Amino acid sequence: MNRTSFRMLSPLIFLLCILLAGCGGGSPATPAGTPRIAVIISTLNNPWFVVLGDAAKQRATRLGYDVVVFDSQNDPAKEASHFENVIASGYAAVLFNPTDADGSIANVRRAKEAGIPVFCMDREINATDAAVSQILSDNYSGCVALGQYFVKQVGESGKYVELLGLVGDNNTWNRSKGFHSVVDRYPDLKMVSQQSADFDRAKALEVMEAILQANPDIDAVFCGNDAMAMGAYQALVAAGKDKQVKVFGFDGADDVVKLIAEGKIVATGMQFPKLMARTAAESADKYLKGDRDFPQKTPVAVELVHRGNAGKYGDYGRKEAE
Amino acid sequence: MIGATVAAGTAVLLYFLPLFHVVPLDRAKQSVAGAAFDPAAFVDRFWTERLIPGAARAVDATELVAAVQEDRQSARRTHGRSVGMGRVYYYFVAGTGRVVSVEKNHVGLSLHDGQTQVQVSLETGNIFGNAVRDGTGLLNVNDFPNSQDFNALSSEINGRVEQQVLPALRKMAAVGATVRFVGCAEIMDEDTDLHPLRIVPFIVEAP
Repeated sequence: MNRTSFRMLSPLIFLLCILLAGCGGGSPATPAGTPRIAVIISTLNNPWFVVLGDAAKQRATRLGYDVVVFDSQNDPAKEASHFENVIASGYAAVLFNPTDADGSIANVRRAKEAGIPVFCMDREINATDAAVSQILSDNYSGCVALGQYFVKQVGESGKYVELLGLVGDNNTWNRSKGFHSVVDRYPDLKMVSQQSADFDRAKALEVMEAILQANPDIDAVFCGNDAMAMGAYQALVAAGKDKQVKVFGFDGADDVVKLIAEGKIVATGMQFPKLMARTAAESADKYLKGDRDFPQKTPVAVELVHRGNAGKYGDYGRKEAE
Repeated sequence: MIGATVAAGTAVLLYFLPLFHVVPLDRAKQSVAGAAFDPAAFVDRFWTERLIPGAARAVDATELVAAVQEDRQSARRTHGRSVGMGRVYYYFVAGTGRVVSVEKNHVGLSLHDGQTQVQVSLETGNIFGNAVRDGTGLLNVNDFPNSQDFNALSSEINGRVEQQVLPALRKMAAVGATVRFVGCAEIMDEDTDLHPLRIVPFIVEAP
């Protein structure tokens, strides 16, 4: 081959190399032959999601997979980039906790088109033809029960505040709507402020401090998750109002369950992150072994935790159940 | 030559700006359903076309109460219904009983002549939860891409029970009156929700 023809062929050779490398990336196994599972979590800045991610990783590892956990940091752009990485690197499956019920659908579809099955955990996507299955906390029903307990504890009249989670997440609204489906039936229970604190403890502290400036006489605060409940409680302690204002959370985080047992926070809804993560990992394993019979959505019941039963709960679940 | 250039140019343009997109039918249906979901209209049809005709599938209350008294877990396996994972389950139940107590938010019935013990309790206050939505087995969460739509059904069904069923129940609920009912019970805590069975009725009538 002379120098001229090599110059002409070199771009083609380069392209061929890229294509071959791309084909190699499509294999579901590492060079050592162990298939890899990606655990993509909406945020690891919240202990509850750390538990979800860790439980998924542990179960998938025990089932024989190499597992890598990706943190989307509540940023749909980061999540999309994780999916690109996962598709290009040839992962066998994704255990997925989405950032956005609508915005995350495209990522799941892209993985599906690349032959990578996706199993949603805790949060849903608004499509039933993209993920293989979705193991979802029954947030709405959990907050209906929490709303009933709220009325029992606060009474049928009073002033309260609601701290919402991420506004793009279905769980935020399922929780809020479940709660309001009860509380709004009592017209003398007045919501004086409803603000988002993005499921974030530090932000909840900030938001609650600001709310207390304008509304120093509230009776209760309902928070869409326990991280926000901790932030709100911290703000109340700093303002000397922790005995006056009843705090309600949702998640079943260990620190909140402990404060419920001590009578400092009134109640929360226990979700079961470990159960959901394990179920998703086991579903992925079954799928990769040929099983195709999965219900699209599996709601996981949320249980009310209050001072009377807090001793039965801990470690992100029910003591005898998990 | 010019014709070929125009054709090629048009082809390139259409490639990047197509006149239409081909979308799989299930996805198209899903987006239309998601955009247009109207829980009130859905429950209107569900109520008349499926719920009322579906009442024939309910277990007899006398049989269920006896089964629960004998063995809770066996009764749950035989007659109960669960949705997803968790400890909550439901009974879909029908029967006839005599009113033995009338309270602010419920009416107590005995299923046997001559007894005064409340065996089933019909709710008459605010209705919360998913008893009717999930208890009959007629609705499936997997038919609803967005669970907010599925949840809206509970509120809509509960509202309809409060507006269309409970006023008649309150009117006929005098101690000694006989009431036929069809409804669902949500069992969250077996220690408190089984004795008596607390039923959200969607049919009540004098037999």
